[in-house]
Order: sequence, then C-alpha cells, then structure tokens
Amino acid sequence: MNKRRTTWEWPVIIVVGAFFIVPMLAMTRFAMQRVPMSLLGRKTILSRWTIRGLMNTISDDKFQPAFLLSVRLGVVTVLVVLALLLPTVLWLHLRAVQWKMVAEVVSLLAYVVPPIALVVGVSGAYRDTVPWIVSSNYGLVPLYVILCLPFAYRTLDVGFAALDLHTLVNASRSLGASWQQTFRKVLIPNLWTAILTTSFLAFAVVMGEFAISSLLLKRTLPTYMVEAQGREPQGAMGVALLLLVLTTVLFMVLGRIQKKSPTSSSQEIRITP
Amino acid sequence: MSELDFPRLVSPDLRENVTGGPAGSRASSTSGHWSPSLVLPLVPYFLFVGLFLAMPTVVLFTKAFRPVTGSTTSAMVEAMSTSNRSSFIFSLKLSLYSAILGALIGFLFALAATRIERPRRLRNLVTGFSGVAANLGGIPLAFAFIASLGAQGLFTRILYHNGLDLYGNGFKIYDFWGIVVVYLYFQIPLMLLVMLPAIDGLRPTWREAAINIGASPFQYWRRVGLPILTPSLLGGTLLLFANAFSAYATAYALSSGGSRLVPVQIRFYLQGNTITGKGNLGYALAAWMVLILLFVMTGYLLLRRRAERWRTA
Amino acid sequence: MSQLEFAHVTKKYGDLEALSAFTLSIQKGELISILGPSGCGKTTALRVAAGFEKFDAGRLIMNGHNIEPVPPQKRNMGMVFQSYSLFPHLTVAENIGFGLSIRKMDKKKRASVVSEMLDLVRLVDVGHRYPHQLSGGQQQRVALARALAIEPTVLLLDEPLSALDAKVRVEVREEIRSLQKRTGTTTLFVTHDQDEALTISDRVCVMSNGVIQQVGTPQEVYDNPSTAFVATFIGETNAVVIGGHAVLVRPEHTRVVSDAEPNSFRGIVQSFSFAGPLKTVVVRISVDESLVRATMTNTVGSDWTIGQEIGVIFDHVLRLAD
Repeated sequence: MNKRRTTWEWPVIIVVGAFFIVPMLAMTRFAMQRVPMSLLGRKTILSRWTIRGLMNTISDDKFQPAFLLSVRLGVVTVLVVLALLLPTVLWLHLRAVQWKMVAEVVSLLAYVVPPIALVVGVSGAYRDTVPWIVSSNYGLVPLYVILCLPFAYRTLDVGFAALDLHTLVNASRSLGASWQQTFRKVLIPNLWTAILTTSFLAFAVVMGEFAISSLLLKRTLPTYMVEAQGREPQGAMGVALLLLVLTTVLFMVLGRIQKKSPTSSSQEIRITP
Repeated sequence: MSELDFPRLVSPDLRENVTGGPAGSRASSTSGHWSPSLVLPLVPYFLFVGLFLAMPTVVLFTKAFRPVTGSTTSAMVEAMSTSNRSSFIFSLKLSLYSAILGALIGFLFALAATRIERPRRLRNLVTGFSGVAANLGGIPLAFAFIASLGAQGLFTRILYHNGLDLYGNGFKIYDFWGIVVVYLYFQIPLMLLVMLPAIDGLRPTWREAAINIGASPFQYWRRVGLPILTPSLLGGTLLLFANAFSAYATAYALSSGGSRLVPVQIRFYLQGNTITGKGNLGYALAAWMVLILLFVMTGYLLLRRRAERWRTA
Repeated sequence: MSQLEFAHVTKKYGDLEALSAFTLSIQKGELISILGPSGCGKTTALRVAAGFEKFDAGRLIMNGHNIEPVPPQKRNMGMVFQSYSLFPHLTVAENIGFGLSIRKMDKKKRASVVSEMLDLVRLVDVGHRYPHQLSGGQQQRVALARALAIEPTVLLLDEPLSALDAKVRVEVREEIRSLQKRTGTTTLFVTHDQDEALTISDRVCVMSNGVIQQVGTPQEVYDNPSTAFVATFIGETNAVVIGGHAVLVRPEHTRVVSDAEPNSFRGIVQSFSFAGPLKTVVVRISVDESLVRATMTNTVGSDWTIGQEIGVIFDHVLRLAD
C-alpha cells in the first residue's frame, strides 16, 4: 500500500471547507460592497466595491481606544501568564512531580466555571473590598489569565515534557551556570515554540473575548464591534473580517515555526486543553 | 491528548528518569509531599487560582443558596422550577446537538485531513484556521453568520435565487437550528484540534499488525482503530458540549434567539438586579452551570488520561 | 523444500533500487536472517513478503503459488515489528487471540490456544494485563505469541530486538530461536546486528544497497566471505595493501612475533589492550603504514611496550569470490 487512493477525502474537505469559507466571503461582500441585498444579482455582483466602510470605522474616534485597549490587555495577559506558569511548570517537572496531577486538574477548573459565572463570582466577592478589579480596565487581566489557564498550562506542560529537563539542567549547572543563566540560556531557547504558541493563543483569546468585558462594561475591541454593528454595520463587519484573517495568518506562521523547531519532534504542539 | 509519554501521571511507580534535580538528591520522591521547600514555589500559582477562581466560585455558591427575594426557597431550588427550567433545557439541548454534530463532522474532517498528502500547506491552513475559529470567540463568527445566513445574508439570497426561500419557510438564524449551525462554526474546528493528534497517534504498526494477522481494513477500523480513538472521540464530544454550554458571545450577538440561553438569562437577572430583585436567581443559574460543567469536565479528563495511556503503550 | 521464494524481485523508489533482482529461496523450517546496514533493503524485502509493498519486477512464490496478487491479510504470515506491535486497548490475552478471533475460532478453543501460547513464551498469568504494563522484552514475547498463534506459514521478524536493552536482547533472541525450533516455523529475521544473525540463524543473507552479497551458513559467511563488503561487515578485518593487492586478514589470524622472525612484516606497536580471555595489539605495519589489529588468547606471550618494533605474520588470508 504505497500510494493511498483518496476517494472520499477531497469531497469531505471541500464541503466542510465551503461551510467555513462561504461565511467569510459573505462577510467580505457585506463589508465592502455598497449594493443592497435586494439588488444583488449577476449584473451587480462586481459593482461598487469599496473599503470606505472599513476606513470609516477605523478612523472612528471610538475604534482606536478600544483596539489599543484590547492589544494592551493582550500583551499584559501574555506576560502575566508566562510569568506565572513558566516557573510553576518548571518546578513541577523538576522537583514537585507528585503535584503535577493536582496542578493539571486545577488548570482545567477554568473550563468548569464559564466566563459569566466567573464575572458574577469575582464581582460579588471583590466588588466591595477591591473595587479596582471591576472598575479598572486592567482588572480584566486576572480574569483573562484564568481563561487562558487550561491551554496555556497544557502547552507549557507538553513543552517541558519534551525536554530532557534533568539532563539539561544538570549539564548546565555542572558547567557553572547559575539558575538564572540556565533558565535564560538553556531552558527558554528550547521552550521557544511552546512559549510562542501559548503567547499567540492567549493574545488571540484576549482580542476576541467578549463575555467578561461586556459584563464589566469595558470598551474592548469585541464590545466595540457589537456596539458599532448598530451604527456602522459595514465597518464593524470589516473589522471582524480583518481580525479573523490576521489571526489566521498569525497562527499559520506559528504553525510553520512549530514545524521547524528542533524540539517539537514529530508533534504539533496542540492548542486545546 | 498529547502523544507524549506521561507515565508519571498514570503509574508513578514506573518512573524511569527521576534524578531529583541539580542537587542530585532523591528528595522529591521520598521527602514529605507537603514539605515547604517543595511547595513554596507552587504557591503563586495556587494562590492566583484560589483568589480569582476558587474564591469567586465559593461566593457564587453562597449567594446561590440564598432565597430569592420574596420567597423562602433557596434560589438553587427555584432555579430548577418548571418556569426556569426551560432555559436550561434549551441550553442543554443546543449544547448536545451542536456537540454531537460538531464531533461527527469534525472527526470526518480530521480523518480526511490526515489522509491528504498534497498540497502540503493544507494541513497548516486547516490547523491555523481551526485554532482561530475555536479560540477567537463568538463575535466575529456570529457576524460571519449573520452575513451569510441572516435575513439579508448572502447565502440566503443565493438559495432564494435558486428556489429555496429559507425565511419564507420559517427558518430564522435565531431559531434553535439556526443557532446550532452557527455554533458548528467553532465546534467543528475544536473537534479537529482534538482529533488530529489522536489520529496521528494511531501507529502504522497497529494497522499493519492487524492486517498481517488477517484483518481486512474494515475489521481493523472496527476492532482496533476506532476503539483506540474512542476515548478521544468521547472526550472531544464532552469538550464540545462544555464549550457550547458556556458560550456567551455568540448567543449575545444573535440577540433575540440567544436570550433563551442560560448565560444570557443570567445576565438578565443580574443586570436588572434592583428591578426584578431576582439577583440570587442569577447566581443560582450560574452555580448550576458550574455543577453541570464539573460533571462534564471530569468525564473529559478521565477519557483524556485513558487515551494518553494507550498512546504511549 | 522451498517455502518462500523471491525470484529476481526488483523494487524501485524513483531512480533508487531498494531491491535489485533479489533472489532468495527460503526452506521450510529454517530460520534465515537478512543482515545489512540501514537502508540496505532488508526491511523492504520483508515488507514485500508480507504484502505491504508492491514490487516492480520479479516473482514472489509461496508453496508453489504466486502470491503477488494475494492481499496481506490472506497470506497467513505472522509479523513482529520493532516496536508498538501490540494493540494498546486489548489485554495480552486478547492481543494473542486477535488473529484467532478474526479466523472465527470459537471462544473455548481460542482460550486454550492463548494459554498454550502464553506457556510457550513463558508469560503465564499475564494474560489479563495491558501492554503498557509490560516491559519491552515482555511485549515482544507477547507479539511473538500473537504471531505464532495463527500457525503462520512464514514468521516475519522486523528487527524485533533493536528497541530492547542489551541484556534483554540476548534473552529474547535465544527465546526466539528455541521457539522457532520447537514449532518448526519457517522464519525470516531482519537485523543489522551481526551477533544476532550469526548466533541464531540457519543461514544468513548479507545485503548492501539492495543487492545480495552472500547467502550461506553463519560459518560460511564468516570464514569464506565472498565480497569485501561481507568480509568487513561481518567480524573484524585488517585490510593491508601488499605489492599492489588488497589483502584481507582476520585479527585472530594475525600474529605478533619478534621482529627478528623471518618472513614477517615489520611494524611498530601503537597500543594494546586486555579484555579478559583475549588480548589485542594494534600495530602500524610498515609495508603500507596502515593499522592492523591482532587478537590472541590470553595465554600467549608477554606484554609489549608502545613503540616497540615487532613482526607481524598473517596465518590465513581471506580469499574473496571476486
């Protein structure tokens, strides 16, 4: 059986692929064509394509702050996630092996408490004692970190497991490197793929997160998009499309990096919990 | 469901490489489970989760057990009364259908994707897009569907031109089946991401061993391939269920239809707190969600462990 | 009588010939090894026999029938792989009984064959365990039992010991040989390890780059290698150029004597080592400035010093077929 005969595979891929592509095309058309649906026909399909709607929205004075807020939240969330998890997972793999199961279960708990329940709980618990968490924009960060915990923990866990951790650390330390140097020069370079994957994913999640920011009345990109949908539907649609396309490109780049990485062996580092 | 070797998680006594770290001591395996030097570095993690996940959940449950203003029964019980139960049933039904459909289609798609060897970029595109669709959240996806299957949607229009009047026949994107279709947009990719590594993990030697010993390709699938994939399939379905059940953004964006779903109901009860006086009911609904998800995710975790154990045999 | 016969089988991957007019006749009841370095085509030959690879020219005959069109599941051959042979979701007993249940053997009979097999591989009481609970050596023994349970016409072993620890390797290979003798199963054993091939085979087929170099008993292949490849791949060989000709001599036929000895080649001791029953001396021989190794049993002679001038005598030279 050298050459696999593919019979049913391509039809399935095309049909399911169409299911995903058609809405994207519809988005594009909606965002960029100024022809009302009732007039749309074969003759009008190519007329009046413009990016004016999209440009209007981008230059709208409410777009930029919302976009920047989401980006900032994304960056801060990524940093906090890495700062919290890298040392933790390292320690779990290096010494505290018997705690791994507990830590893993704990990481999945974020999936047990849906965003709405989380917001409700956090608000109820801390609204009076630590009002910052519901009033400040950056109060979203801890919640976002919790949201990212399941896949972030898993990705880093897998990344560490792929290393021969004890050997690397022992080798580095026996050659005279301090813990810091070992971390910086030996561990992080080998964990680069896992770190990038975690970061890209966390960033994407924050850029698209709606439930928590909407409930806490924050003006992030997704809440903006929903609000703008009423005012400038074409622009809002255009922004959504742009977000989808750019994130897909980002992830494809990530995919290429994963393939080339020497430590990823034969697996793609997966991105689900 | 990583392909990696997790012997430590499954049977700690089969550990092979425990060298105990740079000091060379075997302290980690013999010293106290709770010794401070071992546990201290883990404190930030557990503290963070304790503060921002555990504590809020506790508060949630405390409030959920209080009675709704104006009655004596605890909100938890009230939440399940006949009048309130309908939203749960709607959410559960929606989650179940979208999970099963998403799982089947996602599995088929994953299977097809693993067998296609050319073009080589296809796999990267499929995985990349799936990562986005599964994680970017419901707003862009809801928009996409409104653009294609909404009342003024492109696809609706195309079908209309070809004789099929969807809306005339009572279809609404805000109806049950409309929402199921929208949910599939992130369910299918999520299943794909779960199943791709599971299918890749099917060793070619198993297939060859089965065939060599007399099984036909069909018998191989029925007696070896599918059984080995079953924990991943079931686990993936559970994950999809949890995903749909928790989904808020998509439901919100689909406005009128989404209002029958539990997450949106919770918001209704809590934002209109002072008017309806039914804040505790909102808490109770959220608490029930947590209980249901706890049950589902436990199943998921157990199945994932099983899949991994076989993967490394 | 010939049980399995490859007649001029050629298999190409693009321009590369993985198998080049491969001709081998395997006798009923024998254990024949295909020995060679990675990429020599030995695994390809095995997979062609199993039916997992098609070939471009030649014929494949089993018990007088052309089996080329026969699909792998109908060839009644049992195969053991290098690793991951066993089905992880089935117990040991279920694994062994798998082929039997495919052949629709009834439950009772199956159970008795399975327990017979477990006895055979000395793994009684393990039937209820799962593969991941067994060691590597145990897993391979179960894989063997599974293959033998169906009473295969030919047993195919694809480097079954390569993934095992050194000590386990020796145990399992002895077991394979004794099982094979007891059941009388015709066996094709692929390996890159010459120790394995020489110790357990009835015959050895040495391959390189898709071409058979020599087929013979272990003794024949060692004492009378027909090509330079076989001479150097199997055992150790000293290659010396004397008077324009390449001469091949085994270290055990290379003798170190005093440099005053007539008819000896001059040389200088480079190093020497002691390994229990054997002693080895490495000499730089002046005739072509190459290094030769001489091994001898521990009882012979005294020690040398590095830099000492001595003489070397070749007691027996390998004569190649070409």
